[in-house]
Amino acid sequence: MIGPSERATERILLVSAAVSASVTVLILGFMLVMALPLLRGGGLFSLLTQHWEPGKGLYGIYPLLVTTAGISSLSLLLAFPLSLGCACLIGLYGQRPPGTLLRRIVQLMTGVPTVVYGFVGIFVLVPLIREFFQTGSGMCLLTGALMLSVLIAPTMILFFQDSFERVPRSHLAAADALGADRAQKLLYVVLPAARRGILVGVILAFGRAAGDTLIALMLAGNAVQVPGSVLDSVRTLTAHIALVIAADYESPEFRSIFACGLILYLFITVITVLVRRLAMPESGERP
Amino acid sequence: MNDEQVKIKVTGLDFFYRDRRILTNLNVRFERNAITALVGPSGTGKSTFLYTLNRLWENIPDARMSGTVEMSLGGLWRDIYEGSYPVTELRRRVGLVFQTPNPLPMSIRKNVAFPLKLAGNRDRRLLQDRIEQALQMAYLWDEVKDRLDDDARTLSGGQQQRLCIARALVLEPEVLLMDEPTSSLDAAATEIIETLLVALKQRFTVLVVSHYLDQVRRVADCVVTFPDGAVVSNSSETR
Repeated sequence: MIGPSERATERILLVSAAVSASVTVLILGFMLVMALPLLRGGGLFSLLTQHWEPGKGLYGIYPLLVTTAGISSLSLLLAFPLSLGCACLIGLYGQRPPGTLLRRIVQLMTGVPTVVYGFVGIFVLVPLIREFFQTGSGMCLLTGALMLSVLIAPTMILFFQDSFERVPRSHLAAADALGADRAQKLLYVVLPAARRGILVGVILAFGRAAGDTLIALMLAGNAVQVPGSVLDSVRTLTAHIALVIAADYESPEFRSIFACGLILYLFITVITVLVRRLAMPESGERP
Repeated sequence: MNDEQVKIKVTGLDFFYRDRRILTNLNVRFERNAITALVGPSGTGKSTFLYTLNRLWENIPDARMSGTVEMSLGGLWRDIYEGSYPVTELRRRVGLVFQTPNPLPMSIRKNVAFPLKLAGNRDRRLLQDRIEQALQMAYLWDEVKDRLDDDARTLSGGQQQRLCIARALVLEPEVLLMDEPTSSLDAAATEIIETLLVALKQRFTVLVVSHYLDQVRRVADCVVTFPDGAVVSNSSETR
């Protein structure tokens, strides 16, 4: 028997679920409507492939797309080996103090606001890059990617570590009893079993890197151009939205940010679907 | 038994988990090339005792042990807790089969080859021979020889347990520890494993934890009761 209070609870939960789900759809609709004049003008395809030259009436976001893909990939490339190593280290120490301490620090890092990373980047990383390469202002794709890798590493470390811990104890015991040392256990048992979790962590971290705004805005230089080298000043999709929205309200430039938003929205949707697809069968597997 | 027949000497063994005493001043010797059954009520430390013989208990947080365990390994008497004796080496000479079959998530072939891989053996031909030999010893070869590359988890429970036995045998250990190896299996699978046990004692010293008295009567040469560690019977009198 379902009592009245239970039925009421069910209804409240249903309403809140419907509201949060429809907000997501509404946001998509809103961006479509706002980007419509621009989409109608040149079509989505030309918008995605054109360059950004407002003087000539070109509002293409191609350079922004390339930059976002480049800066996220580079930060992932830098952060992945570090994160994997760090997660392995935590796993090797287990419950002993160095492991728990490291884990605490990583957990703390996930809570640091990105603006703090941005600040540290401006005052520490930017001068370092400028001095080291002796070129430009130090605000470039590389600087942004380096700081982004610090931002996304904790996400990956915690995800990797979590998937390491879900490796069945019976597998670890089998390896121990057969004379595996700790490194062999990690290499032959833990890493293969945690493969899917590692992939999910990487995809989520990539999404986080692509979606982050402040670090690229503060550190990457914000010139709209297709980067020719990692030392070029660049602008990401997210930084573009932030910059334009702060200065403008009624212009084709302003319309372009809705195309950016749309692309980011679709990108994050793809990420979410991928993660779901990958993570689901794992929970259904035998323990 | 006289000294020449002894394979394992346990002296003054105490075992604690947190503040709870699991084993008290255990003194027991195990005969080589014989099956010794460890029997006794649940929770009297039989599995724990097995784990003191290959040092697997060291993975349990908050556990501690005192006393000595000596084994004749490779013709030499060794204190297995002596710092200079590597634990990985010990575990290659003292195999363990768990209560529930625990094949690794890989093919049948790779499961059996796994301990060889850990020991740094990479010669293809040698691996092939040793895998076949171990599977033969575990009475599994005929059932799996045509599907060696199938996932090990597609085998039945009894086959999985024999696979785990093959995996423990592939390194040719001197001692084989078995923690209730048939408790998760049906009667037919149990019978195969019991026959297998008796065949194995020609080459190995076998210690088996068992809850089934008829099983103990069928296979054991010697019985050690827990928690006191008393040797209550042996082959010549009871069988």
